[in-house]
Amino acid sequence: MTDAVTLQGVTKQFGDVVAVCDLDLAIADGEFFSLLGPSGCGKTTTLRMIAGFEFPTTGSLKIHGQEMGLEPPNKRPVNTVFQSYALFPHMTVEENVGFGLLMKKLGSADIAERVKRALDMVQLTHRAAATPKQLSGGQQQRVALARALVNEPEVLLLDEPLGALDLKLRQAMQLELKDLQERVGITFIYVTHDQDEALTMSDRIGVMNEGELLQVGVPQEIYEHPTSRFVADFIGEINLLPAVVVDHETVRLLGNHPISASTGAASGNEVTVAIRPERFELYDLDEPIPEGMNRIEGTVSRRIYHGDVFYYDVDTPAGVIEAKEENRPGVELYEVGERTIVVWAPAATSVVQE
Amino acid sequence: MSISTGVRPKSPTERLLAANSWLVYAFFYAPILVLIVFSFNDNNNVGIWTEPSLRWYRAMVENDDVLRAIRTSLIVAAVSTVISTVLGTMAALALERFRFRGQRVYDGLVYLPIIIPDVTMAVMLLLFFAQSFRILDGLIGWSPNFGIGTISLSHIAFNISFVAVVVRARLGQLDPRLEEAAADLYANQWQTFRRVTLPLILPGVLGGALLALTLSLDDVVVTSFVAGPGSTTLPVYVFGLVRRGVTPLINAVSTAMLVASMILVGISLVFQRGTASSPRVAEAHPPE
Repeated sequence: MTDAVTLQGVTKQFGDVVAVCDLDLAIADGEFFSLLGPSGCGKTTTLRMIAGFEFPTTGSLKIHGQEMGLEPPNKRPVNTVFQSYALFPHMTVEENVGFGLLMKKLGSADIAERVKRALDMVQLTHRAAATPKQLSGGQQQRVALARALVNEPEVLLLDEPLGALDLKLRQAMQLELKDLQERVGITFIYVTHDQDEALTMSDRIGVMNEGELLQVGVPQEIYEHPTSRFVADFIGEINLLPAVVVDHETVRLLGNHPISASTGAASGNEVTVAIRPERFELYDLDEPIPEGMNRIEGTVSRRIYHGDVFYYDVDTPAGVIEAKEENRPGVELYEVGERTIVVWAPAATSVVQE
Repeated sequence: MSISTGVRPKSPTERLLAANSWLVYAFFYAPILVLIVFSFNDNNNVGIWTEPSLRWYRAMVENDDVLRAIRTSLIVAAVSTVISTVLGTMAALALERFRFRGQRVYDGLVYLPIIIPDVTMAVMLLLFFAQSFRILDGLIGWSPNFGIGTISLSHIAFNISFVAVVVRARLGQLDPRLEEAAADLYANQWQTFRRVTLPLILPGVLGGALLALTLSLDDVVVTSFVAGPGSTTLPVYVFGLVRRGVTPLINAVSTAMLVASMILVGISLVFQRGTASSPRVAEAHPPE
């Protein structure tokens, strides 16, 4: 099957500034794909190139196998949901939603029918005659969604569409969007700087920084096995410890402390070891530790109560390690100053290059 | 001190400011009032009151020169307003939406006619027309006359700048995402302009058009240079009357012009009200 969107060697320059650098990416048909990264990383520029608002300086951009890089937006089978929604203020909700169909020169009966269905889908039929200003932020967001989806685009582009909503509504809309995408089966390309959003909704995530695509993978892969220091650091909480590669299965942390990890780098290389706080378990000094686990001894220097979890800072020869322990009955608490052994699985240890 | 529910006594500053505003109003409107009252005066002398009558209004509508001047004024105003509004709006769009070579220079030059003195503008237009007509005569043997044509062209020349400035201000407030959204929804450039850009900048375009209309109807200096013999606009005619000795006819004509301007101002206020007070009902609705 042809991929929905294919980018090959796409570069975008604004004057001397390189916004997107040599991007290769294939997005499958029907996929919910998120472009994740900090502001200014090139994710929005990438989306705008797919929409046709910007043209690549070099490279090839295909939509369902057809070269589209230099086509104007109105000639592309994609629609966009803008961050600011960009609803036409001088038109009613109905007219906004019907605009694309009107431009495609559909009959008025057909337009009315499809607009009604689209408004049904986002539960705004009762607001059809309102103007955008009379709607709440969440309602405007849903009108923007209906206005794009009513055209049955091959690809739907969403530019941080939930950014302007408050937290509760945002979380509700995340699930609603994911549901909707599965129902309509359209490829969604979703730009966000919010890692939770990306992890929750996406089939796959592409992490970008400074115009480059650093890693593409399913959410679990991105979270559990980051391949670069930036990806490890940007998504979730993580411990980053300096280390030196010994062989294929061993690295040495500071304090000459060897641990097991699959390294994938030449021995002697300086690398960073990345471990999620929730992967650690704390053991008493005299407690038996399961075979094959990594371990390092240290002193608890801080304990923070966080409701559902406790955060521990443990001073070790390899540096300060932050561990996260669930607040469950039966889980032993450690006091500040107490000695403990920090234990984790080699599989939970990612070795990343700088 | 007890808390009183009464009205706080006005401070001396407030009294002074209130008195000042009354003074300003008097300064503005007393002459207008005098003009209107004396336009209904039944006397051959401008300044001596005898009794109310419509005599000078009758004289005005029976005076062929006045009627011809009014006709010229209206034609020039209509032609120059329509053309300068179209050209000025196009200039504003070009400056605000596109990037092209020499844009910065063009940007500065658009404002020039607003800045340079009327008299300079008048002299250079006169010279320009005289030279152009001489060349035309030499090339194709056609020498146009000064008249409605030259007046209209001159008014278009200075009105374009004013329209461009007003429309550009409105365009600057327009979210460019709206035009992108239209393009995203399959509208071509013309459809985007007609269905999204133009309706949203329309208040600016109409404001610019009204400004152009007013400036055209008011202009004396430029018009009197380029009018040529035989055709004259109303303000230039009135100016000429004064030089020949003041008669109460001037009062009637001036009052008529005043009423016409006030109607224009009224219309422009209605437009501005209609767009500025966009309803903010969002707060009144329960979210979701």
